[in-house]
Amino acid sequence: MNARARPLAVRCTDVEVRYTIRSHRPLLRDLLRGNPPDITTVHAVRGVTLDVAVGESIGVVGPNGSGKTTLLQAMTGVLPLAGGELLVRSLPTFLGVKAALRPRMTGRANIRIGLLAQGLTRDEAEAQLPAVADFTDLGPAVDLPMETYSSGMRARLHFAIATALTPEILLVDEALAVGDRTFREKSARRLAEHRAAAGTVLLVSHNLGEIRRSCERTVWLHEGHIVADGPTEEVLRAYEA
Amino acid sequence: MVTPPIYRPPPGRSGRRLRSAMMRPSDGPTGSETDGLFAVGRATPLGVYLRDLWRRRDYLLRVPVEDLRVQHAHTLLGNLWLLLNPILQVAVYLLVFGVLIELDRGVEDYLAFLTIGVFVFHQAQRTVSAGARSVVANVGLIRALRFPRAALPVGSAIGQLLSFTPVLVVMLSVTVAHGYAPGLRWLTLPGLLFALTAFGLGAGLAAARANHTYRDLENLLPFLFRLLFYLSGVLYSVEHFVDDDVLRSLFALDPLYCLITAWRWALLGTEASGLVWAGTIGWPVITLVGGFSAFRSREATYGSGA
Repeated sequence: MNARARPLAVRCTDVEVRYTIRSHRPLLRDLLRGNPPDITTVHAVRGVTLDVAVGESIGVVGPNGSGKTTLLQAMTGVLPLAGGELLVRSLPTFLGVKAALRPRMTGRANIRIGLLAQGLTRDEAEAQLPAVADFTDLGPAVDLPMETYSSGMRARLHFAIATALTPEILLVDEALAVGDRTFREKSARRLAEHRAAAGTVLLVSHNLGEIRRSCERTVWLHEGHIVADGPTEEVLRAYEA
Repeated sequence: MVTPPIYRPPPGRSGRRLRSAMMRPSDGPTGSETDGLFAVGRATPLGVYLRDLWRRRDYLLRVPVEDLRVQHAHTLLGNLWLLLNPILQVAVYLLVFGVLIELDRGVEDYLAFLTIGVFVFHQAQRTVSAGARSVVANVGLIRALRFPRAALPVGSAIGQLLSFTPVLVVMLSVTVAHGYAPGLRWLTLPGLLFALTAFGLGAGLAAARANHTYRDLENLLPFLFRLLFYLSGVLYSVEHFVDDDVLRSLFALDPLYCLITAWRWALLGTEASGLVWAGTIGWPVITLVGGFSAFRSREATYGSGA
């Protein structure tokens, strides 16, 4: 299908993102000595232009530090842009391994809070709760504090919470790499269902097999630039070379 | 080492076409594909922002409730500590000022006077400090989910308000035990509670913004509050020690002095000047409006770790 005929979900035009990182040296010492302050600017994304059509599933590959995660995070609006323009049809949901959940609370309490944080009312959240808890496959462990979970269990909980509301645009960052085989298959199935319902997916992964299975198009990032963008098989062949 | 191939522009798009599409948005299929798109990270209008915040009221209430529930999870007595903490604090004052040192600094019922001062002061301090930490402590949440960031300081203020309930119970018990029966002035307590929380939230919002840029603030806050502790008449009666009218009116510049004096007026029947009332109402309004706009002006940057 011609991607241009479909409406766009995301349009990036020369998107640039910079991080400033302060070192451990106090700022005042540099100011007093007249040294330039010890602030490192990391130019993580350096002019990315990318159109994503509604219902497309795009793999994002590249070495560590090539700006994949930063680009995805910029799409959710949590990182300020240093340049360019980023348009979206609806605010994407970002799904990463760094689970922002509360360790002392039970899995169930975390699900409730996760649903409320995404804007559900109390009644809506209570109605969704059993289905989400069920999807995690945690069994009785869903009522134990999250600090007792293994990293795989935590990832399952996080995946279940983030995909519960079936966001129009879903950004997945290595989140499927953890978890056992059964859950990987289950989550891949949910992503496929999501795409079938005209949902848009961007998938960052170092697991090229996973990208081949789920994505028809792939973008290759290197040092903050797009070096290739096209059909998955073509791009991955060049990437693996 | 991989050699990147030459950059291929994304299919079906060049910079020139985009510009023309942007100048004439209704220009055929090129324009329609961007219909319904909006820029991420743009500032939300105030009304929409407040509505977003209001829509998350269930979240704002639930988080502090769950936090409170697990706060003492690893202790033997559990949430009894919420009540035991203020009781033990009063017990210490009773021991020190009632038994060991005969000291009343010219104040009747010093224990009740002191309890109100200390509890109101600490409540303000806790609300401001929790607000100051709320943004830097939740960077993970900020990066993972999209929500109005003011939800973090607001949620922490609500949490502090909830944990103040047992403290309030102890405080009221102490005053009643001293023979101050509940009277008409008790009707102002909800308003005073609101003023105390509003001031803590407003100052907390400003502190959260400042703390995000300069983490140094977290180290300074305890000393600032220590100084205010001695200036706000927590341990002594300003009316008793300061005779000069001008000097006394200067105390109204201290929001905590105003709040503490108003609380004592309500519970112990002491005096409160017009200036104190102006401060009790004015300071919460000023800090809330100022703190909120200061917080919102940096809304977009809270996800980037400084």
